[in-house]
Amino acid sequence: MGRIVRRSDCKLERACVWAGCVIVFGLFSAVLNAQMPVSAPETERPVPILTGNAGFFTNVNGGETELVPSITPVLLVPLGDRWLIESRAAFTGEFERTDGGGAYGGKVEQEIDYLQLDYIANRYLTVTAGRFLTPFGVYNERLYPIWIRSLQPTPLIFPLGTGSSDGVMMRGGLSLNPKVNLNYATYFSTLSTLKKFESDRKAGGRVGFFLPGPRIEVGASFQKELQEERANAFGFHFAWQPAAIPLNLRSEYARSHDGSGYWIEAAYRLSQVPFWQKAMRRTEIVGRGQQLFAGEIDEDEAEEYGLPDVNTKQGDLGLNYYIRDGLRASASYSRRFNSDGNVNLWTVGLAYRFAFPLGRVGPQ
Amino acid sequence: MNPRVAILTAALALVSSAYAADPPRKGEDASISTPLARSSTDADAMRARGEQRFHANCGRCHAAPQKFPPRMMATIVRHMRVRATITDEDMRLVLFYMTQ
Repeated sequence: MGRIVRRSDCKLERACVWAGCVIVFGLFSAVLNAQMPVSAPETERPVPILTGNAGFFTNVNGGETELVPSITPVLLVPLGDRWLIESRAAFTGEFERTDGGGAYGGKVEQEIDYLQLDYIANRYLTVTAGRFLTPFGVYNERLYPIWIRSLQPTPLIFPLGTGSSDGVMMRGGLSLNPKVNLNYATYFSTLSTLKKFESDRKAGGRVGFFLPGPRIEVGASFQKELQEERANAFGFHFAWQPAAIPLNLRSEYARSHDGSGYWIEAAYRLSQVPFWQKAMRRTEIVGRGQQLFAGEIDEDEAEEYGLPDVNTKQGDLGLNYYIRDGLRASASYSRRFNSDGNVNLWTVGLAYRFAFPLGRVGPQ
Repeated sequence: MNPRVAILTAALALVSSAYAADPPRKGEDASISTPLARSSTDADAMRARGEQRFHANCGRCHAAPQKFPPRMMATIVRHMRVRATITDEDMRLVLFYMTQ
């Protein structure tokens, strides 16, 4: 009986895959026939760019000082009207004093976060192939760069469901009506053990609804691991930026085999403070509360994924000062509570965002 | 591949293909360029809408950057269209606001 069920499941699976292939093929044919690209004027034609960020931070974790210089170059190469090659690498140093004092030493970690080819098929669909950031929640894709994130320590739940994937992805955004925008991403990732291109076999997607009036976004993510435990993961995200005050509220929840938890963050720009206007409008204060419930993983796995292996609560406070465009000084204090012992985490440093054209750009 | 994943993928492709059959709206083309403003009043109105869309979309994650030359902005906006799943209309208006 079980065998019959498995065979019928197999037939259904194959039928679904074929149906999907036929529809996707039909979609591309329709798009290619319906919309022939019209070139932009020469003065607006996109040019390749080298952008990214560099930073230097000093972290004190439970009394141990760590120096963390980093550089994250992003290469953007547009091809024609519809194609884009984009890649981001990360070089991060982690230097600590050796036991008993002495000079700082350590290693520089090198990662390829993404190396992807995007094809803008139409107003509603972009097809991506290659290595891409896994669209689970919004922190990984939108808030991770050090010049963007409001607090330098990443949320405790950040490793859940995120990282990079090798495969194909379809994504896009569309206006459902003047009050609601929909954005979506769906992907399939293959197993890869290639050095610097490691990824798991999994599939998933994310959908979000953005209300431009009140500037609220809510969304959900789902992921199915297609290897080992074949575990499911899901999450929700929320963001609100009220127009009346310079406040940014964000929150995420994630649940997976490796753990679950949430974070809530508020960042407030002091531009409405009536004194020291010049300095205050460049200053931002940030607060975050978060909690992680440890999952079914052992200590070694937890360390590999960058997750605490016991239930943990953490409160974070931060201060950002925007010195000039792309240059920001940041400091933060966090207090972590768990059964391994409560610790203080301090961070202070600078983050800089750069952007250079790799071709002639003409007059500004 | 899990049948549910295949069905989800196919459903998304179907929805997208239905929209693809919808021709570009009047005054738009399929390429990524700034929309045409026919008068200075049009341009002012589009700039205002572009600024609004900029704060609604881009300002949610990061502070406003300086204005780059149009050819750089065209690349940056294409990158952000993919990264932040910005709608086509918002992307055009933001590009207009950042370059005009």
